[in-house]
Amino acid sequence: MTFVVTENCIKCKYMDCVEVCPVDCFYEGKNMLVIHPDECIDCGVCEPECPAEAIFADTEPGLDTWLTLNAEYAQVWPNIAVKREPPPDAKDFDGVPDKFEKHFSPAPGQGDTDGDGAAPPDSPQDEAAP
Amino acid sequence: MDATLQTKPDPGTQAGGCCGCCPPEPTKLTEVTEPAIRLLVDRFYAKVRDDAELGPIFRRTVADWDTHLSTMRDFWSSIMLTSGRYHGNPVTAHRRIEGMTPALFEHWLGLFAETCNELFDEAVAATFMDKARRIATSLNLALFYRPEHDRPRSAP
Repeated sequence: MTFVVTENCIKCKYMDCVEVCPVDCFYEGKNMLVIHPDECIDCGVCEPECPAEAIFADTEPGLDTWLTLNAEYAQVWPNIAVKREPPPDAKDFDGVPDKFEKHFSPAPGQGDTDGDGAAPPDSPQDEAAP
Repeated sequence: MDATLQTKPDPGTQAGGCCGCCPPEPTKLTEVTEPAIRLLVDRFYAKVRDDAELGPIFRRTVADWDTHLSTMRDFWSSIMLTSGRYHGNPVTAHRRIEGMTPALFEHWLGLFAETCNELFDEAVAATFMDKARRIATSLNLALFYRPEHDRPRSAP
């Protein structure tokens, strides 16, 4: 079970979700984020953080296409765990219909390694098993 | 540390019982706070270490309990208070543990529920358990039911 990023993230990409995600399972495209379904632990912390309300549990109906898209692009886009400034026109695109057809880009985003995106401040805690 | 914790009265224990002859009713915590999370984590893992099924696995896996408890406080703080303090990969961490079974997740949840119910009122305990169940289900699926993962499973 996983959470899934859907259409309204496109061109909004607020990135509030990446800051709260405990398992750093967000990956960044040019104008959208996706969740790696194998890394998400279904904690649900990200869902209410999304200003665009674009994140849903995969138990909701009709999300198969988005689940596939999340799984596919999480393999190729860079990881993002540090929030940056959202696009200046993010609010203009919030709620605009047909964003996937008109605006989706398969190009990768910059992730945490470029620009001012430093690595997460905390050291990795890979050994930690709850 | 754990033995001391177990013998301490519950936080907020009221002085005196209903009639003076019964043990005092412990006051349950009604809010999720950092100190509450600390209390939960410390008490829960004290139980885990004494548990016949989970104890041996955790003793084998956890090299430094102070570090582990600190990490688990960060984890639950990130989950319940969105503090963002924990960054890790629990799926990978669990995949490395020898002897994991789906039943162990259920057992873990039982012990966690017991601890939550001791410390928190019904609503707060339910919030913790909702998160814990979702995460356990997710880890269970990741470990045992995703065929693309490379390591052989010890359970279906």
